[in-house]
Formats: sequence, C-alpha cells, structure tokens
Amino acid sequence: MSRIRSRKALAVTMALPLLYLAGIAPDSPAGLTLLQEAHAVVGAPLTPVSAAGVARRTTRRVVVAETSATEAAAASTAATQQQQAATAQQQAATAQQQAATAEQQAATAQQQAAASRPPGAPAVGTVVTVLPTGCKPEARDGIEYQNCGGVYYRAAFQGSNLVYVVQ
Amino acid sequence: MKSTFRSPPSAALLRSCAIAALAMVSVAAQAQSAGIAPEAKQILKASTDFLASQQRFTADTRNTLEIVLKSGQKIEFNSTGHQFVQRPDKLRSERSGDLVEQMFVYDGKSLTLYQPRDKVYAQVAAPGTLEEMLDFARNEYDVVAPFGDLLFKNAYDILMDGVTEGIVVGKAVIEGVVCDHLAFRAPDVDWQIWIQEGLQPLPRRIVITTLDLPNAPQFAVTVTRWNLEPSFDARTFTFAPQADMKQIELLPR
Repeated sequence: MSRIRSRKALAVTMALPLLYLAGIAPDSPAGLTLLQEAHAVVGAPLTPVSAAGVARRTTRRVVVAETSATEAAAASTAATQQQQAATAQQQAATAQQQAATAEQQAATAQQQAAASRPPGAPAVGTVVTVLPTGCKPEARDGIEYQNCGGVYYRAAFQGSNLVYVVQ
Repeated sequence: MKSTFRSPPSAALLRSCAIAALAMVSVAAQAQSAGIAPEAKQILKASTDFLASQQRFTADTRNTLEIVLKSGQKIEFNSTGHQFVQRPDKLRSERSGDLVEQMFVYDGKSLTLYQPRDKVYAQVAAPGTLEEMLDFARNEYDVVAPFGDLLFKNAYDILMDGVTEGIVVGKAVIEGVVCDHLAFRAPDVDWQIWIQEGLQPLPRRIVITTLDLPNAPQFAVTVTRWNLEPSFDARTFTFAPQADMKQIELLPR
C-alpha cells in the first residue's frame, strides 16, 4: 500500500521536469507541443462521440487507419481530425508541412517529372489540415485555390474538419 | 478473516454459514454480470420515448472530449453546443470551443456545414427526414453528430444494441436537477446516462468511455438547458450564405 503511494508521489514529482523536457515551458504555448505530438500519432483512432453502434465506430476507425497507411500527411490529418483549428496549429503548420513534404519527396519524384510542379511538391490528392506558410489565394474558373509556392491547395471539409487537398 | 464467534461454533452452524456465504457470493457474482437490470431499461426507455415524443425542442450542452496523446497523456477539450430540433426534418446545431467553431443546418432538403472563422461552408443534398439525414451524413461523409443517436425515434434500440450489463447506480444531481444515474456496458464501450427524475425524463448527462483505445478516453455531454417550447423563426433552419463566405466541397467518405 505504502509502496504504491510512494510510487505515485514519485510519478507526480517526475511529471513536472518531464513537462519541461517535452518543451512545455510556462511561457510557451503548451498547446503547440501537445498538438505536435498529437499530429505524430499516426493512425490514432478518434475518441468516439457516440455510445451506440460499435460497428459504426469500427468502420470509421478502419477508414482512418487506411488513410494513415496511405499518406503521411493524411495520417496527421487523421490523428488530428478532432484537434483541427486550434490556434497553435497555425504555428505548427510550417514544421509539420515541411516534414510531410520531405517524406513525400521520393514518392512524388516521378510525378514532378510529368507535371510542371515545384520540386518537393506533395502528391496530388494529399490532404493536410494546415497550409504551409506564405500561401496566396488565387481564383481559377471561379474556384479559390491557395497557391503555396507553386503548389495549389483547395479547401474542403473532410468529415467535419476543414482540410486542404493538393491539386 | 477474524471469527466473530466467541465460542467454537457447531458443525451445523458452520455448515449453514458456509451455505449462506456461498449463496451471497453467487448473488454478488450475478449482480456483477447478471445482464441488464429491468429498472435501468425502464428508466432509459421512458427517457428515449419522451424525447421521441417531443416535436420541437432546444438543448444547450457542454461537451468534454478527451484525446490521448502518443505518450498516453490525456488532454481534455471543451466546447459548448446549441441544438435546435424540429421533427421530422429540421435541425440546427452550433458548437464552439477549443477545437472548433461550427454550425450544421439541415432544412429537410440540404445539409450545410459552416465554419465561421474561415468563412467557408459546404452544402450537400440530404434525405428528407432527420433520422435519414443523420445516417446519411455519417455514412456518406463521416460527419457524426455528437450523440445524435438520441435524436432517433428508436434511440433506445440503438443505445442498447450490444449492451450486456446495465444498472441503476442511484440518484444524482446534475445541473441542480435530481436524476437517475444509469450505467451500461457493451463490448468496447462503457456508458453512463443521467435522466431527469419526474414527469419529464430528459437526459441530462451522458458519458462514453471507450475501452478499446489506450487509456480509455471519455466523451461527455451535459445538457445545461432543455427548452421544450422553443420559438423558431424562418432563419433558424435556413442557411443564407453571405457574400464573403466561400463554398467548398464536402469530401465523400
């Protein structure tokens, strides 16, 4: 009994330094680090918001898992489907996007050769939750796109989450 | 175990004690896994039937969603919601919180999803009844109304599907209202519901614990206010896009 209690106390005292190690300093937006970690949870199933229909929940989660396996960027979408739109996400955008882009470079090498797309552009159809920095809105055929260094993104809802699809 | 007997008990007494003890153990075991208490069923059914009989109502809610990070750390996100319902074919649902600010409007013909901060909306043709629309949104677009199951006329059957155990925990007070507290178990999910005592057995709080995810995250909804005599106007269930809003696609699932 007392051993358990002291172990708990230890865990609590350990927690504070660990938080600092994890980069959650009091003067930094804690949400930033947390969301970055959440982004990294590849294929993390969502917390169901419905008690009923286990089958429904399962279906939904399988869909998420498949998405994750297919595309790195889409995986972070899946992991953060419920986390969309926190302010900190804007700040996390650059880092996350760069990582996603890097991971996709190899995969999209052939595509780049075919189309006149900038080197390192994410694959067409890639879904991201946040745009890279420095995007400019640009209308083509009455549809608004985001021109992000020559890569065009189009906003869409995926489930109830606002995402951007690489064109 | 200390014996409470002062003098050595007789063999007969011991035997009857042993039988009684065995009986108690077996009763306890039954209580643990004896299925669903009839009273729990009855209270839940009364509540879902009552809600199904309400043609128009609003519900203000406070929602809490737990997310489990890769490290196992749980993070809680809060939001508030306003639901406007008119059976059989109108719904407006607004929610705002840490994660999202959104509005759903269903007018019996189309479903609109609007995100005010980004001034974007998506609109799709939807089936003609509220229940069909909820299934349609979930199946075709992965748009899930938090605890939308309660809006179905057969909410009881949907909720009890797969439930193996159910008990009445006892009386509780939610938002100042005396409720019956029920707890149910189904494969991979435990859920609890607090139902207002009296002539209007409205659900006041629901907690879903997801057992097949690491650290069993919970989703909880508390209804802070029910209004069973709301006044809706023409705008309640219509979405009129403004000039500065942009329409975007709702990706099929």
